[in-house]
Amino acid sequence: MNDDVKQPASGTLTPEDRATEFVPVVGGGESASAGSLLVWAYLLMWALLFGFVVTTWRRQHQVATRLDRIERALSKAGEGA
Amino acid sequence: MQAERAPSKPDVAGLMFQALAAITLGVFVYLIYFIFNHTPEAQEAAGGLAQKIFYFHVPAAYALYLAGVVCFIGSAAYLAKPTDARNALARAGAEVAVVFGMMVLVSGPLWAKKAWGVYWTWDPRLTTLLLSVLIYLAIAVQRGFSGDGEAERKFAAALGVLGTVTLPIVHYAVRKWGGNHPTVITGSGRGLGDQAMYHALGVGFLAMTLLALLLLWQRTRLEILEARARSAEERLLGAGMIEEL
Repeated sequence: MNDDVKQPASGTLTPEDRATEFVPVVGGGESASAGSLLVWAYLLMWALLFGFVVTTWRRQHQVATRLDRIERALSKAGEGA
Repeated sequence: MQAERAPSKPDVAGLMFQALAAITLGVFVYLIYFIFNHTPEAQEAAGGLAQKIFYFHVPAAYALYLAGVVCFIGSAAYLAKPTDARNALARAGAEVAVVFGMMVLVSGPLWAKKAWGVYWTWDPRLTTLLLSVLIYLAIAVQRGFSGDGEAERKFAAALGVLGTVTLPIVHYAVRKWGGNHPTVITGSGRGLGDQAMYHALGVGFLAMTLLALLLLWQRTRLEILEARARSAEERLLGAGMIEEL
């Protein structure tokens, strides 16, 4: 351990320890976890599929409403005849 | 008084659809169980676990090809002889191709982040795939927002033919122009290192094929029903039995 690095006595950082510049990391490890990327990939794929199924269901519901309207118009015409 | 209806026949198509849906669900549950419990981690450089995206990513790309072929058949048939059923098949193919294309475009970059360090790169296969998906998306948007006239249908059908012509370019781009995209199970690929990986991939192909068939079936039926409802409404409007569409 480098003794030149000042360590806060209480174990917490003081205002003097704050970052004063950002230097690009060279050769650092990848920060994104493979597990979380995997879970996100699966979740987003299922979400896409679910969204598609919901739009299909909504369009089916609209067609059913239009068919009801056609049936009502035909029944009304039948009663009038 | 309600008009008397003929006794309804058993809905064979509906029962078949429900059976197919149940089988598809079962295959997907088994696939997820198998991927997370029996396939080994691979591609250490990508963190091992991220490689498991492969078992959905590749079958989804294959399902995109499948939906694209259906779109091509419907579109070409519609251009040769326009019918509501052919138009429905073309439109359903394009819409389902968008869903699978988006699955590939979402899962690929998440895997790439770990394997390549970036979400996206203008690799030949990625670029050509994006182009194909954008063509199918253009068809879906055009059909959704520009009406259902003969000219709109024919324009969409021409785009449907064009979109599918780009799919072989996507497939062979990685061999022809190289790039970052791996070639493991096709071309000069050295294959998968474990029998369980082949099994998971095979089940993935089966699951995505069943899912593609389900979505295509449902969407085609819906498009046909919408066309029939529109035709009936126009006739009722012409006869003065309804006031507006």
